[in-house]
Amino acid sequence: MTEEFEPKIVAFLCKWCSSAGSDLAGVSRMEYPANVIPIQVMCSGSVSPLYIFEAFNRGADGVLVSGCHPGDCHYIKGNMYARRKLLLVKKLLEHLGLEPQRFQMSWVSAAEGQKYTQVIKELVKELKPLGPQTKLRREHHG
Amino acid sequence: MVKHEDLKAEAKKLLESGTIKYLIAYERNARDGKAIPVFIKKPEEVDKITWDPTCFHNLVRFVVDEKRRKARQKNPDTRPVGVVVKGCDSRALVILLQEKFIDRKDVRIIGVSCETTGVIDERKLAKKLKGQKAKNIEFGPDENFVVTTEEGTVNLPASEIMADRCLECIAPIPVISDVLFGEKTKRSTPHPFGSVDKIETLSFEDRWKFWSEQLEKCVRCYGCRSVCPMCYCDECVADTITFAVTPDTTADEKALKIKWLDKSPVISENIFYHMVRAIHLAGRCIDCGECERACPVNIPLRMLNKKLEKEAKLLFGYDVGFDPDKPALISCFRDEDPGDFIR
Repeated sequence: MTEEFEPKIVAFLCKWCSSAGSDLAGVSRMEYPANVIPIQVMCSGSVSPLYIFEAFNRGADGVLVSGCHPGDCHYIKGNMYARRKLLLVKKLLEHLGLEPQRFQMSWVSAAEGQKYTQVIKELVKELKPLGPQTKLRREHHG
Repeated sequence: MVKHEDLKAEAKKLLESGTIKYLIAYERNARDGKAIPVFIKKPEEVDKITWDPTCFHNLVRFVVDEKRRKARQKNPDTRPVGVVVKGCDSRALVILLQEKFIDRKDVRIIGVSCETTGVIDERKLAKKLKGQKAKNIEFGPDENFVVTTEEGTVNLPASEIMADRCLECIAPIPVISDVLFGEKTKRSTPHPFGSVDKIETLSFEDRWKFWSEQLEKCVRCYGCRSVCPMCYCDECVADTITFAVTPDTTADEKALKIKWLDKSPVISENIFYHMVRAIHLAGRCIDCGECERACPVNIPLRMLNKKLEKEAKLLFGYDVGFDPDKPALISCFRDEDPGDFIR
């Protein structure tokens, strides 16, 4: 029996836009893959690089950080800081040899439920052929 | 060429007048002829001071320690400390000033220019000498180092035994200093990021192979952290013993402290530690190469930090350690920062 690999995606969604966007996708009964584990954060700028490393360390196959569009941040410029900080994280992960598809960012506003489902669908499609993420995963939990 | 006499005269002047508390400089270790850090407290001791190609240490680390020591004293001596800095070390001071960790009046900076060469790499020198012990190493003319061993004196081209970071150095002259010795020479650095260029040509799988082999060796001695002038956090996520515990800390607080990574030196945790260190040094690492030198298992740590220095330069146009008034790399942004990686 061959079971298809289902990637586990940890998504850090900002409370004001992306999380509301994912909510909209839910209440509108839009269909999208169930691979994503959403974690609500106050702002994409509050996502520490530690969170991303830890997610991969605890066995995430992909990590998504999603925030408000530039200029729409509830805290004026949190997402702009996130953009700079997380691009460095992305570059570092790629430098170490992690596939670039595994860590991604998106801007999803509260009205873009459709876009949120699209992002998740694409992410799952990209991660499936890569297989499980074993590079940064901790072997023994405890 | 930096003259020893000039350095000594300046040190003597500062110590005799009582302008500085003490001077952090280099002295020659009689055993192997290489420089070691020295604290000069009395004017009579200034004859110890030396400046040669083995002065590879970054003495700014001791400025960080001094600040800690001062914070613990009841009536601290508020005079500045003198410190001898090379080009790279001076940029470490710039970062400390930028982060307001130290105050400009806390340090008296004696800059020395590396001119057209730099400092040696012990491992390269040992290889070159094939088992012979160097007794003395001096700057020679025409970008040569004069190495004296038991079998005689040889002139070695600097480029062959110089540290990798010196070959990629863009600022051999101290950026800030109260007094500067040596000539302000210009140098051309054709490959300022040469060491990371090699890795960037590899595929993701090969990169992973390279790094997993390297980081598997790590024994988590935290030598890289101890020697780094930028690693001054009171609490480090890497090990729980650094967490501040006061009489008010409850058992709950101790138990619930987030443990981001395991202390055991297994590859996943080693990589976690080095990723955290690299990202924390992004826009702060001034490439003094001390982590790599201190590493007992020869992990090319510079390549991690240099990569982020390169990205800071290419993506955000950020030069590390030149302007104490500039904000830190990740506490500022530009509207034109690249965003095409975002969906």
